[in-house]
Order: sequence, then structure tokens, then C-alpha cells
Amino acid sequence: MAIETVDTRLRTRRRAESVGVASIRRLDWLLIAGVAALALYGLYAIDGITKHDSGGSALSRQGLYAAVGTVLFVAALFVDPATYRRFHRTIYFGTLGLMGLVLVAGAASHGSTRWIDIGFFAFQPSEFGKVLFVLALAGVLADRSVPVTSARAPLRALMYGVPAIALVFVQPDFGTALVYTAALGGVLLFAGVRWLHLAVLFVVTVVAALLILWILPSAGVNVLKPYQTARLTGFTHPSNDPRGATYNLRQSITAVGAGGLRGRGVLGATQTRLNYLPAHSTDFAFASLAEEHGFFGAAILLLLYLLVVWRALKVVTVANDLFSAIVAGAIAFMFLFQVFVNSAMTMGIAPITGIPLPFVSVGGSSLLTNFLALGVLQAIYIRRGDRRRA
Amino acid sequence: MGSADFPRRGSRRFLPGDPRVEEPYRLTPQLAMRVAILAFLALGVFAVLFLRLWALQVLSSQRYLAVANDNRVRTIRIDAPRGPILDRSGKVIVGNVAGTRVELWPADLPKTWPAERKELRALSLVTGVTVKEMLARMQEYKDDPLTPIVVQRGIRRDQVFYLEEHASEFPGVRLAESWLRTYPYQSLAAQVLGYVGRITEPEYKALKKKGYQPTDAIGQAGVESAYDTYLRGHDGSAQLTVDSLGRPKGAAVAVTTPAPGEALKLTLDIKLQRAAEKALSYGIGLARGTQEGRYADGGAIVALDPNTGAVLAMASNPTYKPSLFAGVPDTKKLAPLLNASVAAKDNHPGINRATMAAYPPGSTWKPVTALAAMQEHLLTPYEQLLCSPDLVDHGQTFDNWTPLIDQWMDLKTALAESCDTYFYRVGQKFYNLPSDRGHPLQAWANRFGFGEPTGIDIGSEVDGLVPTPEWRCEHFGGPPCKGYVDRIWKPGYSIQLAIGQGDLTVTPLQMARFYALVANGGKLVTPHLAEDVELSGSKGQPPRVLRRFAGQPPQPTDVDPAALAVVQQGLEEATHASFGTSSGVFGSFPVDIAGKTGSAEKVVTIPGYQPQKLVQSWWCGYGPYGKPSIVVCALIENGGHGGDAAAPAALKVFEEWFKKTAVVTQHASD
Repeated sequence: MAIETVDTRLRTRRRAESVGVASIRRLDWLLIAGVAALALYGLYAIDGITKHDSGGSALSRQGLYAAVGTVLFVAALFVDPATYRRFHRTIYFGTLGLMGLVLVAGAASHGSTRWIDIGFFAFQPSEFGKVLFVLALAGVLADRSVPVTSARAPLRALMYGVPAIALVFVQPDFGTALVYTAALGGVLLFAGVRWLHLAVLFVVTVVAALLILWILPSAGVNVLKPYQTARLTGFTHPSNDPRGATYNLRQSITAVGAGGLRGRGVLGATQTRLNYLPAHSTDFAFASLAEEHGFFGAAILLLLYLLVVWRALKVVTVANDLFSAIVAGAIAFMFLFQVFVNSAMTMGIAPITGIPLPFVSVGGSSLLTNFLALGVLQAIYIRRGDRRRA
Repeated sequence: MGSADFPRRGSRRFLPGDPRVEEPYRLTPQLAMRVAILAFLALGVFAVLFLRLWALQVLSSQRYLAVANDNRVRTIRIDAPRGPILDRSGKVIVGNVAGTRVELWPADLPKTWPAERKELRALSLVTGVTVKEMLARMQEYKDDPLTPIVVQRGIRRDQVFYLEEHASEFPGVRLAESWLRTYPYQSLAAQVLGYVGRITEPEYKALKKKGYQPTDAIGQAGVESAYDTYLRGHDGSAQLTVDSLGRPKGAAVAVTTPAPGEALKLTLDIKLQRAAEKALSYGIGLARGTQEGRYADGGAIVALDPNTGAVLAMASNPTYKPSLFAGVPDTKKLAPLLNASVAAKDNHPGINRATMAAYPPGSTWKPVTALAAMQEHLLTPYEQLLCSPDLVDHGQTFDNWTPLIDQWMDLKTALAESCDTYFYRVGQKFYNLPSDRGHPLQAWANRFGFGEPTGIDIGSEVDGLVPTPEWRCEHFGGPPCKGYVDRIWKPGYSIQLAIGQGDLTVTPLQMARFYALVANGGKLVTPHLAEDVELSGSKGQPPRVLRRFAGQPPQPTDVDPAALAVVQQGLEEATHASFGTSSGVFGSFPVDIAGKTGSAEKVVTIPGYQPQKLVQSWWCGYGPYGKPSIVVCALIENGGHGGDAAAPAALKVFEEWFKKTAVVTQHASD
């Protein structure tokens, strides 16, 4: 609708002018506090987790990324979400291009290709892609030329979403592909796609997962690498084999359990310190934190996550256009998904996948992406519809 | 802008919308619902996470803490040196030497199979233990990844150096100080001493409750096995902290210090033992020079104290070196001991023939028949029976060992000349007894310790066999026995039994025990090897005895002393009278020796030949006559006549015991 477009531009200009010193008062200080607390607690935790690693503490490096992330967070405040909407196709194809580049020229690591090395920083497009993917898909669905209640809307979203998910999947990065899928679900949910359509998509996804994990391998077709299948399905049948596929899981559960109420401290946490807990600075960071800081330490982290999710949902309710609402909702959903899958897998109640724990796991791309995502939320919040002005 | 200007969808006002004003976005109830759903989902998710966290960290934290500690702490063993084994004079027969043990900790091996296989292959190259064997042992204890598997006890110095230098390539492999058995007298008394080897899975399962570990070495035969509890001592332990690759972090902290095993003193006389083994080889050599003994290939000599049953010497031939089981195992050299077919070819060197092999006793049995007959009043000592060249009973002809004698004689002479036909007639007397008298010959044989284990403290005995009509019926198919030819006790069996032939088999130890009874006036002794357990005293101090093994006191058998005296005289005549069967051997010996030869026919299959009847050469006796201090029983397998092989061999033992020599004039008969 032409009129709406004109109108949006008009408003965009107005809002762009309005973000300034005066807008500081419009910030969601609870969200800011949550992010700051998470970032600081994450740095504190990662210092303990990596203290006895061969490379030494990752604190300084993570601290540097956190500083850059803060800058990114502030910068995001100045960008009107409508800008993303306008350029959603550019964002989409740019993301796709970068991920394609990873496949072509990325540096190989752990048998999968996820990074682009730009000298001082090994850049992981699929991490940044999480936010960009949400922005692009939200743009697609916010386009009201296709009624969201028709089946065409989710199909269009899939048309955009599936290639990106597939590109991540073939890297191969199964965990991140799962996060993308969750983001796609979040976008569809908050765009107002009909429950029936959501249900159909959910069933299709579950069937596909079963096909990939159990049915096709038993028929001799292996979509995933065997180690991935073993890790993903291992939690359903933990065996006593100490050196088998469930070794990581058993060590992880042991680490969490050994932490007890108060934790074993950085020096006493032998599962982490003596390296029994694999990938304890990345995928299994939650287990390591739980071992060192105990139930209280883990509870603090979970409560901080809950605070962020709560504020993100608040942002959905105050967003002043559908696009922003979709973006905020999808980011909230994606964040919740990552927190759940990562921490639950270390406790043996979710499949083991390589998903980083937000604000804790070592990794620049992940940390910057989290700051960026919450910056976008904050930007939406600042521009919330003000009923008093209406 | 006033609110009146603000057109809404669903507004009742029919004003047209202002084209310049955007229709503002509002939170629809549908979206609000979805936000609420996600909010509840989030609460649910966090509730699940908290519950799981609580379950793991609060409810089960002790359990996981224990698992985490097991992960990092390895309890390592400090081996206790095994107690030495001493002879009766305190000379060390079995001692210890320091060695290095290679252990494998399955929990610390590489986590992937290709890497694990690579490491095991490399370890196999160094130690010579096959990968298959290592995997099999790991499989045995797969439920227990924190107990090491002993790949090998005692590796060479160059192997130790290699493994130490390449430690980084062998995660999960540990070298530990250990002790190995050492044998200053080489193969001496090998079958008696036994050896020390890795505990087998069934042994471990049986002994687990007594605190044995799957990595233990344990006495596997003979004295080492029977007195393992005293010899083994108590291993110490230390704790070592390791990282996930099994690399030690810091030094081992001792928890308990090892307590060395106690010294075991045997009744064995090392000089006599050596003499007995030499005598055995000597006897086999003599036998091979005769027609009947040309297939001689083994034997046993037992020397007992006739009054206590203490074993003074126990030799078995062929033999082996127990040191083969200590240190680097040489499969080729061990094959005769572990591989059944190779063992058969080498005539079973691992078997202690004194206790684990039974032979027909032949004429050495005649004193048993004589005593039983006198006790049952079938025979008086001075009764004359005809010693004819042969005897026909029910159409069957039974020959004497020599056709040259044809005269009436009494019991003493019959024993001294070893007349078979005399004893055939005694056998007939036994057969002709009414059935309500039972089987007195067999009953007396049992009373003299035949057909049952002697109860020697090192175990591993065979019963031997004293055949009875009941046994015959049972053995050849069970009742009913009437009408089945094989199952019926015929007169020939009693006749054969009287001269120690037929189905009768005895072990050399049982025979020695019986001659001890003859020597000591009718008491049945229990042979034993252990004298006491002691702590070796420090310099100049006598050892402190911790426990003395008295042995079972001799049991009276109620044999008539007069009957016994006749048998004793008969045995003395057998070695001294001009017609005695071993007078040529013992006649000139300065000490008065009494004893009996035996030449027992046995169907033997020598590898490569058809089964044939070969003669087992026996001699059993004691000395000095009247005040006996030693009983010797010698057996040469397939050695021909007793007087040709066994008797001269036994003489060598007496020579060592009494420190005197004899002039052997003639090898006689039977």
C-alpha cells in the first residue's frame, strides 16, 4: 500500500531525529541491567572456566569482545528497525553470500567449516546470521501484500528460510541450523501465521528430524556424520560404556552434579581443571560453571536469562509496528531456545549439539551477536508506540 | 492531534481515514495471546532447568562428587614382596627379585578406537603381548575401567627404557615396581613349589571376598598356591591425581605401606631333594639300558619321615623351571606346561607324579595283601604255600615272574623272593571267603590309605583306585550286574589284586605312606610339606616363628604288631637274604635297609606306538631297620624290573640321607 509506505518514511525520519539524549529516558533500564549483569557474570564465569586451560584464561579476549559488543549494542540503538525492514532483501542475500563464502574459502576447524579468518578475528557468519536472518524473515512476513493468514505467507517465509538453514547445515553446523529453525518458528509465530499452518510445519520438522536421525541411517543413508547422530541420540540411551559416544554427556552430568549447592570453586572443579569435561569453554560451559559455582551460581545465570527473556517479551508488546514485534518475538524465542538447549544438554535432558551458551561461551562472534540482538530489542523499545502522543 | 481525529478499524464513526496518518500498529489480541504463550513456555522451560539442576546438584551431588573423584584419583598399588620359601634348614629355595610391571588403565586410553588400536599395537610390539590378548583382558574387567590390566610382569630393561622415553605416546600405560620370583636351585622341586601367575577370572571371582584384586599375582600350584595367604603379604597403596589423558599431576601419596609376605619353611631337605632328582634321572638312565625298561621316560621319588609324615624329598621327572612363569613369558618354553598337546609330547612336565599320577603297584603291594590276610586269619606267618612256576584257576593260567622257583615257602620268604604264585593262592583265599565277610583285602587297603587322597597339604592329588565288585559293577554300566560279563567280579580279579595288578592303581605318595606305616609300627601318617611360617630375623637373630604346622598326628590302624613284624622281616630279607629281590643293591649298604621291589604291568600308549604292556619299576622301603628315620618310594615309569631301575635310584637317596655309599653288586629281578 503506497500510502502506508509514504507514511512509514515520514515516521522514520521523525523517529530518527528523535533518538538523541532525550531518548535515554526511554531506554528499558531493566533490559540494560540484565544485559550488563549477564555480560559481567559471563566474563567472571569464563575466567574461572578457562583459568587452567593450556591457553590460559580467556578473560582478556572475551573482555575485549564484550567492549566491542557494547559499542555494537549502542550503535544498534541509533538504527531505526524500519531501516532493516526496508533493506531486508539486501540483508538476506548478504547473509546468504557470506555463508556461501564460508563454504568456499572458510578455514577448516574440527571437521567443519564455520569461520572466515580476517586476520585479527576469525569471523563466524552463521553467528551474526542469526540476527540478520530474523530481520530478513521478519521483513518478508511483515509485507502485508500477502495476507498472513493465507498458506502463502508461511510458504514464502520457508522459501527464504530454508536455503539459509541448509547453508548452515552443510557447513556442517547442526546446532546452529537448529537455532535458525527455531528463529524461523519464532518469526512465523509472532507474524500471526495460523495455528494450523504452524502445526503442520512443526509436524513436518519433527518427521524430518526423525528421518535424519533414525530412519535414513537405518536404511543406510547418512545425512549427519555418525558422531553427530551418536551425540544427538545418545542422551536417550545413556550406556555404561565409559569411552563410547556418551562419554561427554556422562562427564558433563558428573560435573554438574559434583558442583553441589555451593560449587567446588575454580581450583576444586576437577572435571573442568583436569579436562575431563570436553569443550568446557564453549559447548559445555554451563556444566563447567555449574561445577565451579554450584546451584547458586547456575541459578543466578538462569535468573538473568529469565530476566532478559521477560524484557524481550515486554518489547514485543510495546513494539510500534508488526515488523518490530516479529523481530523482538523471534529474538526472544531464539534466545530462550539457545539457553534451554545448551544448558539442558549438559544435564542430559536435551540432545548434545554445538550451541554456545549466550554471554558465557568463549567465542567473539557469538558474544557480539548477542549484544547486537539485544541492542536491536532496545532500539525497538526506544521507538515504542506512545499512546499519550496519539 | 486529538483523539477524535484518530480513525480506527471497527470504529463506529464513518469518517474517512486521513490519508496522511498511518493506521497505527496495535497489539492485536492474537499477538498478545502468543506472547503470553511464549511467556508461559519460558516459565516452563526455566522450571524444568531448575528442577533438573536441583536434582543433580542438591539431591545427587554426593554421588556425582564420588564419580568425579574416581575420575581423577587413581589408586595405585605398591606390591608387597612375596614371602620366601625355605627348606628345613632355612636355605632359600624361592626368593624375590625386583622387576617392572606394565599396566594398562582402560579409562585413560585414547577415546577413539583407531587411536586406541594404534597404541595397543605399539605396546604389543614392545611387550610381545598380542593386541587380542590385551583386549580380551580388558573385556574381562570392562565394568571396572579404573582397575588396571597387567599387560606383563617383569619386562627387560631396554623395554622399560623405551616405554619411559615414549611415555607421551602411551597414555594409560603405567610402569610399576614389582617383584618377581627367583629360583636359586633352578628346576629343583618345581612341581612341589608350584609357580606364581596372574590370577585367572574364576579364581578372582572366588577370592574377591578375601580382598584379592584382578591384577594380583597368585600362587598357581603346589606350595605357592596352598600357602598363598601367608606368602602373599599385603600390598600397599598410593593415590595419584591424573588429568583426563591419564597424565599424573603431582607425586603419588602413599596411603598404606606394603607388608611383605611371611617366610614359609618347608620340611623338604634341599640336599636330599637334589639327590632324589639326580637319583630319578639316574634310575631312568639305568632302566633305558634294559630290555623291559627301554621306554623309561619319567618317574617319581618320595622320601618321608616315617614317624611324622614330613616330606623330606619329592621328585618328579620330567620337570621344568618355575622361573619360566616369572618375568617375560616365553610361549615356546611354556608350551609343554600350558598346551595340552605339547605337554603330552613332552610327557607332562607340569604334573607332580608323586601325587597326581596313579600306577599299578605290582609287588610293592604284597605287604598289603600279607597284612590283610594275616589280620583276616587266612594265613599264618609260618604256613607253607607252594611257589610254583604258574597257577591255573578256572582255566586261566597265572605265571610267576620267574619259572625257576618251584618250592614250598613261608610268608617272609615269599615276600623276599616276591613269589607271585604264593600270593595268587592268598588271592584265591580272599575270593573264596563267604560273601558276608565283605571284601577284607580292599577294606584293609582303604585303612592303609589307598583309594583316597593322603591329605598332603599341597593338594592336587588323585585318589588311585582299589577295585571292588561294587566298583566293577558301577564302572561298567551300573546295576543290574548279573548276566553282564564285564560287571562280574571273577576269581582272576582277586588273584591279580593280591599281587598289585589288575585295575588297582596307587600314587607313589600313597605307597610311601603305607611303607611309613610298616616302618613305624602301624600308624598312618599324613604327609605334609609346610613346617612353619616365620619372620626372617634380622642379622644374627633367629627367625621368629609365627605359626607352626604340626601336621595331623599319625592315626593308629590297629594292625597286629606280630603280623607287622613278619612283614618287616620279609622286607629285610628282600634286601639282605641271598634270594632277596634287591639284595644286590642294598646288601652291602652299611645301614640296614628294608624294602620291596615291584614290577607292575600297565598298558601304555607311547606317542607314535600302538598301546603295549610296559613294566612300571617300583621300589619302596625304609631304614635303618629297627629304628627307621626315612621312607623312600621310587617309581620309574615304564622302567622295567624294580630291582633294575627303581631300587638303585632309591639307594642314591639313602646314600645322601645317611652320607654313606654302597657297592652295587648286582641288579636283580622282579
